[in-house]
Amino acid sequence: MYFIGIFCSLAAWYLFICSKCKVQPQNSRGQCDNKTVCKSDVHTSACRRHPTNMDAVVDASAENAVHGEDGAAKLQDRLQRRHQARIEDTERRKEAKQSQSVAEEKIGYFSSTFNSERASIAELLSTCSGADRAAATQKLEDATVKTAQLQKFVNDSVCFLTQYELRQAQDALQKLQASLAETREEALPKKKFAFRSRTKAAEKVSKQATDSPPDVGRSPDSGITKTDGAPASQQCGFSYMNNAFLTKTAEEILNQDVLLTHLTNCKVRLFGSPSTLHLKHIDSCEILCGPVSTSVFVDNCRNSILAVACQQLRTHNTTDTQVYLHVTSRAIIEDCKGVSFAPLSWSYPTMQEDFSVSGLDPGRNNWNQVDDFNWLAAGTPSPNWTVIPEEDRKTTWDP
Amino acid sequence: MGLLTILKKMKQKEREMRLLMLGLDNAGKTTILKKFNGEDVSTISPTLGFNIKTLEHRGFKLNIWDVGGQKSLRSYWRNYFESTDGLVWVVDSADRLRLGDCRQELSALLLEERLAGATLLVFANKQDLPGALSKEAIREALALDDIKSHHWCIIGCSAVTGDNLLAGVDWLTDDIAARIFTAD
Ligand SMILES: Nc1nc2c(ncn2[C@@H]2O[C@H](COP(=O)(O)OP(=O)(O)OP(=O)(O)O)[C@@H](O)[C@H]2O)c(=O)[nH]1
Ligand SMILES: [Mg+2]
Repeated sequence: MYFIGIFCSLAAWYLFICSKCKVQPQNSRGQCDNKTVCKSDVHTSACRRHPTNMDAVVDASAENAVHGEDGAAKLQDRLQRRHQARIEDTERRKEAKQSQSVAEEKIGYFSSTFNSERASIAELLSTCSGADRAAATQKLEDATVKTAQLQKFVNDSVCFLTQYELRQAQDALQKLQASLAETREEALPKKKFAFRSRTKAAEKVSKQATDSPPDVGRSPDSGITKTDGAPASQQCGFSYMNNAFLTKTAEEILNQDVLLTHLTNCKVRLFGSPSTLHLKHIDSCEILCGPVSTSVFVDNCRNSILAVACQQLRTHNTTDTQVYLHVTSRAIIEDCKGVSFAPLSWSYPTMQEDFSVSGLDPGRNNWNQVDDFNWLAAGTPSPNWTVIPEEDRKTTWDP
Repeated sequence: MGLLTILKKMKQKEREMRLLMLGLDNAGKTTILKKFNGEDVSTISPTLGFNIKTLEHRGFKLNIWDVGGQKSLRSYWRNYFESTDGLVWVVDSADRLRLGDCRQELSALLLEERLAGATLLVFANKQDLPGALSKEAIREALALDDIKSHHWCIIGCSAVTGDNLLAGVDWLTDDIAARIFTAD
């Protein structure tokens, strides 16, 4: 691993200095930047400028020379220079070509190593089913160690991969981790094996830290400008209520972080645009809220109906709950069961204004793109959430 | 010269730093990263996995790793510890209900051997919210004053307005630079 790192650094260091101008192109190791183009492109385009300048210089001196007194000598000189320039140009091209091929070589090495490692882990996993418990344990442990090593290999290679290759590798690793978890679940159900093996694996791949030890006990409280929050202001919201009808107006919740906790059998109407909304310990409630400019965070909610517009919806430990949703990025669930989704159908007279206050795009609704963080298996849909069938959707709402 | 020494030399040449950004889900890690890089923050989804960004800042090359903070992803955090120069711990200052979780997760990280050399920057994020706790309150809630093992600093910020993000990153890079780029 370290060898690759060094190779990469060395290569980057000497290859990407233009031999002519001795100027290092601005972004000397390219690749890493999510947006930058291939390294060698930077190099060649930096160098391409040079031949142009060079030709111009040669041509200018040639013009001056043509009718000079000792024209022959000058002509000789001119030809000599041209020749020199041509040689240098060829050199430069050769160099550029070489750097290109070295870059390709590194990437080639990365891909082939990555792919063969990945294949061998997949192979290992595929032999787990059917193996006896001891054998499966061993295989899983090996696979865990190998996956962690592969992760490290990717981490170490970041500097010379293009964004595309990096993304590919990330995706592949994520899939690998998902199928590792899945296989573990299948082969060794129940037992608290996963955590132990992960710890062990992590220890095995752990290398000595390369950094020097810190000065112990220094805890600076820098004199940097502080942005303190308002002094313990009253939290906006409702808590510990039963069987109540609760509302808030636009003025009350504008740009606020609203918190609703420990509500049972309540109907809540929030007519306006808060900055964030937190729901915790909600039982058998109907909660409707105008456009939330950032995220809605739901935890421990059961047997309820929610209707909300937001940038992100984050749902946790929630069961048997319907969500009528407008979400501009994505909704996620974690540790949930029986959550169902439909597009937001509730509205109130000033909702459009509140949409513009919130900055949410009313035309962009990803209500059915739900990520289940407990269900990373690609292909099979999560059993923890569903789409509410059209005929069962609520279309009329109490005021 | 051993391999590690060569590697360290190369690192010095590049003035490269690896920063790891962690924190509970919904803290605002990805938003901080994108805002800092001048990107649109309105389309960010909860992170399923991780993001890497490399950017130039004051002559340093920052390799920033932003890893998802959902509960189910936290056990993978350890995969990213290796070679971390700076740890950025992001806190949702308005999320009083999970400050306990937040403190626990952070103190577990500080015991990690592979993070032993890292400088710690705590971002008390979402200071734009009226209900946000001050950075002093967060400092107390997370018992930062008890930390003797790492250089640390807490800064109140807002990823939405961009307030103080620069101040935080500047402090962090200065502290790391003083530690790893000093001439031998
Ligand atoms: N009001 C306010 N909202 C913020 C701020 N920073 C982030 N947010 C919002 O908080 C929500 C979560 O932000 P993310 O950046 O996705 O959080 P994260 O820490 O990356 O979360 P994970 O990826 O799940 O670990 C988003 O809706 C953001 O718009 C802030 O400073 N102020
Ligand atoms: Mg994120």
